[in-house]
Amino acid sequence: MTHSKAKINRLTPTNEDTLGPYYPISLCDNDSMDMTKIRRGIILEPRGEKIVIEGCIKDINGNLANGCLLEFWQANADGIYRTPLTETHPKLDPWFNGYARHRTKDGHFSLKTIRPGINKGLEQPRAPNITLTIFSDGIMRVVTQLFFDGDPTNESDPLLLAIDENLRGRLMMKFAGATDDGLKKYTIDIIMAGDNETPFFDDLLS
Amino acid sequence: MTRYGRQIEIGPTDNTSNERTPRNRLHLIPEEARASFAPYAPYNYGINPGEADMTRLAPGRPRAEGDPIKVVGKVTDEFGRPIKNSLIEIWNANKYGRYTHIEDHSGLALDPNFLGIGRTLTDQNGNYEFWTIRPGAYLARPDINRWRPKHIHMSIRGGSSRMITQMYFRGDPYNDTDPMRILMGDNFDKNIGIEFETPEDDFDCGYKFDIVIGGRNPTFFEDI
Ligand SMILES: [Fe+3]
Repeated sequence: MTHSKAKINRLTPTNEDTLGPYYPISLCDNDSMDMTKIRRGIILEPRGEKIVIEGCIKDINGNLANGCLLEFWQANADGIYRTPLTETHPKLDPWFNGYARHRTKDGHFSLKTIRPGINKGLEQPRAPNITLTIFSDGIMRVVTQLFFDGDPTNESDPLLLAIDENLRGRLMMKFAGATDDGLKKYTIDIIMAGDNETPFFDDLLS
Repeated sequence: MTRYGRQIEIGPTDNTSNERTPRNRLHLIPEEARASFAPYAPYNYGINPGEADMTRLAPGRPRAEGDPIKVVGKVTDEFGRPIKNSLIEIWNANKYGRYTHIEDHSGLALDPNFLGIGRTLTDQNGNYEFWTIRPGAYLARPDINRWRPKHIHMSIRGGSSRMITQMYFRGDPYNDTDPMRILMGDNFDKNIGIEFETPEDDFDCGYKFDIVIGGRNPTFFEDI
């Protein structure tokens, strides 16, 4: 990695800290767990297949982890993320931001979104995935990515290939039938610690 | 090939930390996947007037109980480059150690003039400023008499950077037994606000708290 050579001249980062139990719920008032509607009252919608992801965050004892702040981030139906670099990208979807934030009171979450696509322009295309950041009491930020169980592109995804084969299943969202609205529903349990622990990734050292 | 990063440690005497800290080392992210780990929050935040003044519920309202303090600082990446237009969310307990949060069941005194929630944006040079009341310590583990030292929670978000941290106060008698402080070791100094005298006499004092966001997240998009 080239960037590690410059380490000597760097400032020491401020320590991250826990979220604590009292993150102000009202600070999430303008956040939404419906990525298919970036504005209220508008009939236009993002491209792609609408889906629902239901999941929960569990602790080492299998209990639900309450009071976590969750951040979701994903590419649009063409595999393009909205970033400052893609503002003029022809395949950027004007009706899709790909960002959601939610404080879960009881450890459950439900995200309505579109199935992310594949950016075929990349040298090594990624399998469709959703990045999840968890802030919680007792621990600083942890990050991971969630994939679609059975998607053939999982076989060649560079992130999945970077972890042991027997851990890959823990990042899979499983198809779980249809919602009342007829959307495909996927489910996943995030296990923060212990047996069957979800693999988390190091975005400070990587 | 599996490559490993940091091992997150468990905060001593912190039950929640024990329950929620991953036991396995973090996995390193291959370069091809790196960009997908720098979420970008696309919103323009509408901050209302007075949100950075937590010493009052709203402009013109009476001041909350306790010592009004000013907190200022600069948010940068590891290279000292300012992080502009970042949303800073702030929350802290009142002078008695009580949060207005609906899940704070401590029974400590509430102050009707103190909400304990604020927001502000960093300017073009990465600087921020907010006013609050110096928080009280609170008893986090009554069973072992372990207190949380005075602290102010802060979340920094904008562009692809986001971090949650806490500002502590030098000399707090409960600093040494705080689980996360113990994990920080000598680097704890980075999380202490540096006291200064304010020219205005309606503050008890000011604290300078510069924030350096580590890793490639804050600058990822500028780097490529
Ligand atoms: Fe706190």
